[in-house]
Amino acid sequence: MIEVEEIDRIVAERFLSLDYCYQCGRCTGVCPISAVSEFRPRKFLLGAQMDRAELLESALLWQCSTCDACVKVCPQKVKPPEVITSLRSRLVETGHLPQGVADALENIYRRNNPWGLPKGERAEWASGLSLRRFEQGLEWLWFVGCAASYDPRSQAVAKALVKILDHAGVEAGFLGEEERCCGDSARRLGEEGLFQLLAEENSAQLNETGAEKILTTSPHCYSVFSNEYPKLNGRVWHYTQLLAELVRAGRLAFAPGEELVVTYHDPCYLGRHNNIYEEPRAVLRAIPGVRLVEMARNREQSFCCGGGGGRMWVETEEREHPGAVRVREALASGAMVLVTACPFCLINFEEAVKSLSAEGALQVLDLAELVSMRLAEEKKDG
Amino acid sequence: MAEGAAGQERIGVYICHCGVNIAERIDVEQVAGFTSTLPGVVVARSYKFMCSDPGQELIKKDIREQGLNRVVVAACSPLLHERTFRRVLTEEGITPFYFQMANIREQDSWVHRDGGLATEKAKALVRAAVRRVSYHEPLEVREVPVNPDVLVVGGGIAGIEAALTLAEAGKRVYLVEREPSIGGHMAQLDKTFPTLDCSACILTPKMSDVGAHPNIELLTYSEVESIEGYVGNFKAKIRKKARKVTADCTGCSDCEDPCPITLPSEFDEGLRERKAIFRPFPQAVPNIYTISRKGVPACQASCPIHQNAYGYIALAAKGKFEEALDLILWDNPLPATLARVCHHPCEEDCSRRDVDQPLAIRQLKRLVTDTVGEWELPGPEAEREESVAVVGSGPAGLACAYDLRRKGYRVTVYEAEAEPGGRLSAIPAFRLPQEILEQEIARLEEIGIEIRRGSRVEVDKLLREHQAVFIAIGAPLEKLAIPGAELRGVIRGREFLASLRRGRPLEVGRSVIILGDDDRALDIARAAVRRGAKATLVSRLPQPKAASEEIEAVQEEGVRLETAVTPVRILGNGRVEGLECKTAGTEFVIEGETLIISAGGVPEAEAVAHLGLKLTAEGYLAADPLTLATDVAGVFAGGECVSGPLSVVEAMASGRKGAESIHRYLNGLDMYGARELEGPYASTIEVETSGVEQRPRQEGPRLPVAERKGFQEVQLPLEERAALEEAERCLKCAGCCDCRLCWTVCEPEAIDYTMEDELVEVEVGAVILATGYKTFDPRKIPQYGYGRYDNVLSGLEFERLVNSAGPTEGKVVLKDGSTPKRIAIIHCVGSRDERFNPYCSKICCMYSLKFAHLVKERTGAEVYNFYIDMRTFGKGYEEFYRRVRTEGVKLIRGLPGEIVQRDGKLHLIGENILLDEMYDLEVDMVILAVGLEPRADAEEIRRLFNISCSQDGWFLERHPKLAPVSTFTDGIFLAGACQGPKDIPDSVAQAGAAAAGALALIDAGQVKLEAYTAQIDASLCSGCRTCISLCPFGAIDFDEERRVAVVNAALCKGCGTCVAACPSGAATQAHFKDEQIMAEIEALLQEG
Repeated sequence: MIEVEEIDRIVAERFLSLDYCYQCGRCTGVCPISAVSEFRPRKFLLGAQMDRAELLESALLWQCSTCDACVKVCPQKVKPPEVITSLRSRLVETGHLPQGVADALENIYRRNNPWGLPKGERAEWASGLSLRRFEQGLEWLWFVGCAASYDPRSQAVAKALVKILDHAGVEAGFLGEEERCCGDSARRLGEEGLFQLLAEENSAQLNETGAEKILTTSPHCYSVFSNEYPKLNGRVWHYTQLLAELVRAGRLAFAPGEELVVTYHDPCYLGRHNNIYEEPRAVLRAIPGVRLVEMARNREQSFCCGGGGGRMWVETEEREHPGAVRVREALASGAMVLVTACPFCLINFEEAVKSLSAEGALQVLDLAELVSMRLAEEKKDG
Repeated sequence: MAEGAAGQERIGVYICHCGVNIAERIDVEQVAGFTSTLPGVVVARSYKFMCSDPGQELIKKDIREQGLNRVVVAACSPLLHERTFRRVLTEEGITPFYFQMANIREQDSWVHRDGGLATEKAKALVRAAVRRVSYHEPLEVREVPVNPDVLVVGGGIAGIEAALTLAEAGKRVYLVEREPSIGGHMAQLDKTFPTLDCSACILTPKMSDVGAHPNIELLTYSEVESIEGYVGNFKAKIRKKARKVTADCTGCSDCEDPCPITLPSEFDEGLRERKAIFRPFPQAVPNIYTISRKGVPACQASCPIHQNAYGYIALAAKGKFEEALDLILWDNPLPATLARVCHHPCEEDCSRRDVDQPLAIRQLKRLVTDTVGEWELPGPEAEREESVAVVGSGPAGLACAYDLRRKGYRVTVYEAEAEPGGRLSAIPAFRLPQEILEQEIARLEEIGIEIRRGSRVEVDKLLREHQAVFIAIGAPLEKLAIPGAELRGVIRGREFLASLRRGRPLEVGRSVIILGDDDRALDIARAAVRRGAKATLVSRLPQPKAASEEIEAVQEEGVRLETAVTPVRILGNGRVEGLECKTAGTEFVIEGETLIISAGGVPEAEAVAHLGLKLTAEGYLAADPLTLATDVAGVFAGGECVSGPLSVVEAMASGRKGAESIHRYLNGLDMYGARELEGPYASTIEVETSGVEQRPRQEGPRLPVAERKGFQEVQLPLEERAALEEAERCLKCAGCCDCRLCWTVCEPEAIDYTMEDELVEVEVGAVILATGYKTFDPRKIPQYGYGRYDNVLSGLEFERLVNSAGPTEGKVVLKDGSTPKRIAIIHCVGSRDERFNPYCSKICCMYSLKFAHLVKERTGAEVYNFYIDMRTFGKGYEEFYRRVRTEGVKLIRGLPGEIVQRDGKLHLIGENILLDEMYDLEVDMVILAVGLEPRADAEEIRRLFNISCSQDGWFLERHPKLAPVSTFTDGIFLAGACQGPKDIPDSVAQAGAAAAGALALIDAGQVKLEAYTAQIDASLCSGCRTCISLCPFGAIDFDEERRVAVVNAALCKGCGTCVAACPSGAATQAHFKDEQIMAEIEALLQEG
């Protein structure tokens, strides 16, 4: 068990870069939340430097999506999202947190998922599918994640991925109801203790399976496993990496398909946080008939959907949802399909398309869905 | 024996308070009291400021009155005041080396909090100094004369200023500049802040002063390659790069016009183009042109006959077809033929391959020959008496004949067949129309080459009529070295091709197998297909050795290719039925009624017998591979009859080699020297292909397959427009294309293509480094879109844009030529940035404000400056900032996070911090105020001159405040921005200071050499030479006679490396002898 002092130390460490801020404002300039609300990362940094409690306890603190755009442009190597999540930790500790956040954290703690859906329903999406429980000898342990397990829209992604794995003959198994939240949202929302608990338990559970390759659906699970689970043994892959590898090895057979202009949105936790930019694009380029166009902001400059940092459970006050800004960029690119590879992006973009009444002009798909739609009927050998 | 052991030392110890710097932490009285009890100490005192005059006087008085012969001062670092106190000793007639300083400030009072412990440490330090000083020995300080000349490296404003100052003082200066002209960055600038005087107007008079000064030797387009020696006596080797234009150049610029090569102008930051022969700008000093040639490009190097493909492509692209052909004819008498049949190794090696596909070089040669149509070959400049016989009129023989004829020899070609051309005449017309070859041969005859058709010869007889003979009779006789070759239906390729030529082709039946590996086999297959047969080509190679176009064509025509296959035997019962083959372990049979063997030819036995020359075991003529000489004097042999199968161009290369050998033979020259570059070699040019836009290769059209019934030529020429587009794809790897058109127009005859790099050695007493800076590459900040968005410029680009001598004559315009209505200037790009350069670049705020002013002055555009902190620190700078504020410039605190281009407009997105609001500002142009960085090769320069760099990579000064232009290497000074970001006034001031430093050194006339030199005890030295390789100053030599290492005291800098490394303990260093160091350590560690 992790001691309270240890958690305090971790929280304090995440403040360290703060003092270097010299108020150039680039973080705010590039911040997708600043673009649509009164949230200003620079002001939080100044407020923290000056111990301005009224600023640090404002509701705006919960707006950061931890998308890391600011980190990429900061000339002083300050990490505003880390400072902000540390500030959140202080509020969590004293109980000054919005209801939605409190509920999500409670749900993660009690039910192992932020939606608060029953643990026993976690594997229901897979009933009737070929997906097995992980056992020794299977090459891959697939960590499906809360969204793909419970959220109906994301379940389609999981199902598409099952089809792809079958097609390519990839041997994978999952943990079923035994799977727990990866803790990403808990940590971003400042509940460091809960995150450390989950990290301990999940690492132990995953290590015990003996799995050497862990596949994730969500970039958020991928990112915490890769970067924030020091005790995890297996090598972690995001499914887009596996797909790129399958394409490279010629293990995906595509059917000839209609001409489709698509654009790809880099999820923050895949791109900026983990530098996975080219693999999803390589997969898209391999699909016959698919033509990839880029939005003005791509790769490192990708614009957040607004779903990270626990924002999925935060009441937001903004002129426009950041997802809508991004959907307008996708529309401007001339694409017919906006492809992403993260469950939060998928949910936010679909809502944004509806809010902009753009259903006729733009479809939102997860990369796994597009791939599975375009696979040839027959399996490829090997 | 050190005097310390004798106990005669009388030591005075002085503890300095340094005001409160020491006394606040250390109980100086206690230290003094303690010290007075130490053995040998006669007097121990403390005093407020030992370095003050009264402090020094205290020591002097004690020396006189107490008879001191050793002094210890416990104070600050010896770096600061050792010299002061040594002088005190000298003034009192004591050797200065009888002094030791204990550092109780930097190493004690300043770094410890606990006064008690600090005092104890001070006692230990003083005790150590006292013990050590008693072991000190008097040392000899030698002096050597100083060479009064100075080397200045870098010809920017700092180098110019330093050079002029020294020259005016009567010193001889070598000013070395890497670029073709001096001037540096300042020459690129438009106006200078804050006075707004024109940069060129104040710089160019100084540049001409440099050019004209009798005391300055200007070495432009030159680099220092090595430097050795020591302060007062340096020797530098300077590489004067070959500019290929001599000092006779008058700068008239006539050469620019004919030059077909345009390259981005470095001076104009790529905003306009320059020619390959160029001067950076009209006021260049010296006003001499430079040809930028990087070497031999890959296309030319890989060509067996070194056709200057780059040159003729460049000329063709400019519509200079006649000139292009002249260039081709320089190396090749058969251009129309090779434009059709060459297997073009040039394209295989073309650097464009790294971008997309190689250039269609053969097609471009075709464009030249087709366009010119009619031409004559260049004949000899002067006739010679000697006559040469060439036996065989294939490509080798013709190429040899041509080269010899051009040198003036009388050449007779003997051809056994009725028509000349050898293997060329066997190429079917669908690839090489007969009249093309006939014309080429006629042109050779027109320049005086006699071709005797149907003539069989013997070497003996030839040697009676001619002074030398070249045998190139080819290897047309295919060996039938496969089981089953005796079967009916097996035909030699040569017979089949000959039958085609006669117009009575041999019967091949319905299916034919062709065995062969090169273009001849392809020709046979294609001819067979035209006879209505089904053809299968079997090659041992993974791909037949032929041009890609031909391999494509042969497949289009329905020939089946079986490659990487080993034929085992021909099957059949009396008559051919098929061929058994093996590939990767499996065997299979190809069926066919006829089998044509087109591989492994040897010279014809009858012809060889006539010649009476030696043969190799394989049946080829024996000849020296380097010279092609046979064992008969005066007889040379080349081409396929010596080497076996060759492509056409390879055979021609062999012929040219023979011509070279015969020329050397007839003139009694060395037969073997300087022949390395005959035949293909690898180009040494490194080509940067990143960022080159992909543009597909223009393939020449081919006759539609349906129309390929007869012998009509299949490969059609590229349409001229497409061909010119193709020529534009050339990456211009070599810079100058060596077309030599500039030479034809240069009136003062200043162009010298043979010019080579020259190494100059100069001896100087001092060196001033003024190598300047480079600017930050804003591509590293992708959020600002530099390199991606047309109208995002770097600071230097804007300097050129706004300069009246620049590419737009000073008009501030967008890429599309329109005038911007709103311009943003972003400060601090790449500076104050931990990811790139953590320091402030010092000049950017000011030049950004200057840009704002210039934009306002030249255009009506709105200007927005985005800044973090405004730094306007110099004289008149704050006033300039104030003035710019009155000109309507909008100053926004808060840098944009990113720039996004929407509908062709640039959007700056960021936070106006002071107004606490977001902005999304639409502008037409963005100028990035990029910071300054050390030059890319600063580290190499640092190592070359044995100086230090700060962490940022700038050259390190000896002291940031008190020695800002000296380095840690005596005699080497710094000027300008190579030491750190600096504006022009600071650079000039520093240059003056550096020049003064050099002058002080020179005018002293003598320089004291290091006293702490190493010595090697010859009786202990084992001669292992470990020290020699380790010595960073090259100060140790090996005495071969005595087999011991010897230190050259003049070069030794007293670093001690050899002492530490010497395994026999033979090396010792004055003032750092073992007993001195051990005494110090023992006293330091002593308890109590």
